[in-house]
Amino acid sequence: MNGWKRWLVPAAAVPVLALLAWGLTRDARELPSAVVGKSAPEFRLETLEGDTLTLEEFRGRVVILNFWASWCGPCYQEHPVLLRAERTWPYDRVAVLGVVYQDSRSNARRFMERLGGDWPGLLDPGSRVAISYGVYGVPETYFLTPGGRVAKKHVGPVDWQLVRSTVDSLLAAGGDGLP
Amino acid sequence: MTAAAPLLLALLTAAPEAPVHGTAPPSQEARIEGARLDSLTAAVAGRLRCPVCRNQSVLESTAELSRRMQSVIRERLARGESPEEVEAYFVDKYGPWILLKPEPRGFNLLVYLLPAAALVAGTWIAWRAIRRWRAAGAGEAGPDGGAAGRGPADGGGSGTGGPGAGGGGEPGRSEDSALSPEEREWVERQIREEG
Repeated sequence: MNGWKRWLVPAAAVPVLALLAWGLTRDARELPSAVVGKSAPEFRLETLEGDTLTLEEFRGRVVILNFWASWCGPCYQEHPVLLRAERTWPYDRVAVLGVVYQDSRSNARRFMERLGGDWPGLLDPGSRVAISYGVYGVPETYFLTPGGRVAKKHVGPVDWQLVRSTVDSLLAAGGDGLP
Repeated sequence: MTAAAPLLLALLTAAPEAPVHGTAPPSQEARIEGARLDSLTAAVAGRLRCPVCRNQSVLESTAELSRRMQSVIRERLARGESPEEVEAYFVDKYGPWILLKPEPRGFNLLVYLLPAAALVAGTWIAWRAIRRWRAAGAGEAGPDGGAAGRGPADGGGSGTGGPGAGGGGEPGRSEDSALSPEEREWVERQIREEG
């Protein structure tokens, strides 16, 4: 075989191996979000107490929009972080909103009564709001700018470091500023 | 409180089944229903990936989220949105990966082109290899009586019969393709052994 031809197969394998190496370093469970950077989908939902609440009411505040369920194990794990977020920043600057995902009102109320937290729990029948945000499991948390844009999406339980750094940067940026 | 107040209250707190990203409702004539709606819903659901069971379509998956996505698909189609618009809605929310078949453009083209290219390349390689093998096989059965120890080394004779010269001499066959008796016997033995 000519000198250069014997390098054909190894040379062709290099880009394939590079692609595999890049692919294997990614977390296959995590999927790219299509809503980050876009206006947060509006909603009008019923709270666990029977009131009605719209996202628009929270314009001007950083919103931590958390999708959760009482049957979700990691949701128990992250709940203390959300409690800490609620107590760290004033409500007129940062609001925590919890959207109940594929769960009943009674289960959700029991969860909140047991674990604590004064933020609104919102019922989402048919998961219409969850679908509008591109939710594919719980817990998922979306950080919204005061201007109403989706700044960040986090899949899985949040930790305090993530919440604090994200909220602080959103507060510093203000308006529609994305961190 | 007037009699209309309860009705007004009900309207204001209407069930959140109403979509939050709906387009303006089309005219009555554009609405579809019945079997056609079922068929279109199934078609669109079959083209979307279940976000939970990602190797299945929304149509096939038994995940609760998929069932709810089917409801959204059905609602939007019933309102007059085209299947393409409904798919675009889900792509807008979940990203291009929500489509089971990636759109054939940009980097995604590789998904469609690479298998065909691999098939063509593999066929060409196989064809070249077969040609080489056949040429090598024809060369071994040629007038020089074989190389590398295969077959009788002293295949003598020119096809006129009789054993070869033996004694280590070079076979002195004529150039016609007839096998000597020794070569014929050797071939038949190989066939029996492999059979």
